Amino acid sequence: MSDNPYQDDHGNKDASITNTKGIGTMQPAHLKSGPTHKVDGGPFLIGDTMTGGYGKGPDILHDCTIAVDKGEIAVIVGPNGAGKSTAMKAVFGMLNVRSGAVRLDGEDITQLTPQDRVVKGMGFVPQTSNIFTSMTVEENLEMGAFIRTDDFRDTMEQVYDLFPILRDKRNQPAGELSGGQRQQVAVGRALMTKPKVLMLDEPTAGVSPIVMDELFDRIIEVARTGLPILMVEQNAKQALEIADKGYVLVQGRNAYTGTGKELLADPEVRKSFLGG
Amino acid sequence: MDLLNALVALTNYVIVPGLSYGSQLALGALGVTLIYGILRFSNFAHGDTMAFGAMVTILLTWLFQSAGLSAGPLPTALLALPFGILGTIALMLLTDRTVYRFYRQQKAKPVIFVMVSLGVMFIMNGLVRFIIGPGDQRFTDGERFVISARTFKKLTGLDEGLAIKTTEALTVVTAVIVVAVLFWFLNKTRTGKSMRAYSDNEDLALLSGINPERVVMYTWMIVAALATIAGVLYGLDKSFKPFTYFQLLLPIFASAIVGGLGNPIGAIAGGFIIAFSEVTITYAWKKVLTYGLPESLAPDGLVQLLSTDYKFAVSFAILIVVLLFKPTGLFKGKAV
Repeated sequence: MSDNPYQDDHGNKDASITNTKGIGTMQPAHLKSGPTHKVDGGPFLIGDTMTGGYGKGPDILHDCTIAVDKGEIAVIVGPNGAGKSTAMKAVFGMLNVRSGAVRLDGEDITQLTPQDRVVKGMGFVPQTSNIFTSMTVEENLEMGAFIRTDDFRDTMEQVYDLFPILRDKRNQPAGELSGGQRQQVAVGRALMTKPKVLMLDEPTAGVSPIVMDELFDRIIEVARTGLPILMVEQNAKQALEIADKGYVLVQGRNAYTGTGKELLADPEVRKSFLGG
Repeated sequence: MDLLNALVALTNYVIVPGLSYGSQLALGALGVTLIYGILRFSNFAHGDTMAFGAMVTILLTWLFQSAGLSAGPLPTALLALPFGILGTIALMLLTDRTVYRFYRQQKAKPVIFVMVSLGVMFIMNGLVRFIIGPGDQRFTDGERFVISARTFKKLTGLDEGLAIKTTEALTVVTAVIVVAVLFWFLNKTRTGKSMRAYSDNEDLALLSGINPERVVMYTWMIVAALATIAGVLYGLDKSFKPFTYFQLLLPIFASAIVGGLGNPIGAIAGGFIIAFSEVTITYAWKKVLTYGLPESLAPDGLVQLLSTDYKFAVSFAILIVVLLFKPTGLFKGKAV
């Protein structure tokens, strides 16, 4: 997978000398942030005609564009392996974007590291391993607010109001919660930074249909506060129903773009991706 | 039968030495377990880090002694200890900058770090011997006993004496304070929590804006302090010899693994388990048994299960048993 000899563990699986639990797997495109510059106009967050792949590997995205504006929910759907999560990661700076740009709030942030994008106001909820399992719910939220130097108790109250179950479980280790509750912790943690845009990678993966409906309701509730949300979803139909903007990706390219309603009504999209 | 004397002899030869040795191992194992939990590899250079910290402290102690500074009844080394810690922190941060950081940037696998730490171990080993020499160094001064055997006998009128060395009392008290501060730090402070978060999930810590380099730096600083304190206490209690510290790595790792690698409470428990097993199995029980048993049952031999030369075998026997039956350690650690 990697041609870096330092990343070859020679088959060692001995956990009494190496601890691989929770080890970092992210491969940021930049280890150090480059310059940013102001640009005029355009949507609030846009990954504009991005082409690129992981490290020195082949291109996965080809001229892919995704954008979200204030107060909107944008959803990326598509078949397996279409590059949905990859597109999201590209926007977050974990993919080598060889051409194209990422702009947030009138600033070109293509050269920034993921950490600096967090500081710029991007909140990201990964698909898996998105909570600190050994820490309590409250500590998870505190860690979400790590970059904030002001008093974040108000934000924590807002998160608890949004997800009341978390208030009851605040002192419980997050790893002991159910799947749906864990996703709430994950979203809550990302909200603690007071992000300007929230990016969710398959927030409903692996939860029951009832929990899924509830999570979607909460996501709409968050979007109503004016926070733009960009999310990747496996459950295309439900996701497009709540989407202001939808992107159907196929093999790393934009196949169809439109409002959620348009895409749902489009016979081509229905036939190919929504099961008729 | 004379149970009171048996109890005093037991306390004198087993419990007091076990407690102080256990505290020293626990402090050492805490350092190992922190590196394992947060930096994700077994740091084989830990014994030599202890030796380096102790060495800096010893050199400063001699300087202080020659300048006429003293801590009254307490060892002068206590005055030199903060400076020893600073020196070790400097060395750790230098090592991290020049060696480990390169591998971090390469996203090297943990097993590579283990091998790197072996190299660091040999270099530090050489550095310590080069500066202070391979020989035995004594640097203990101040009052020798909190209570000596003779005073104890006079006070109680018993045949058996109970001696508690100042260094033993100091070891236990220091260990309790250090452990309390460490746990408070890890569980209550923002920095401590960020270290736990990094240990739990590196990627998510990054997404939360926690700076990994900061976490690594704090970890090395804490580990340097723990190693120096453990090294100095061990040296005060016994004596300082670079090779002994190198060997200490074995019971320290045994403690950390028995308790559950990556779990600080486990490291402390493991330290005491290993210490007490070593002491009880290598102690000649003749005296205690002669007091404790009816005269007809009194043993003729020494009743020493193993010679003290085999004490490392004891820690490893326990280690193997624990790894066979409870591989995650007695307290839930992170090892499989």
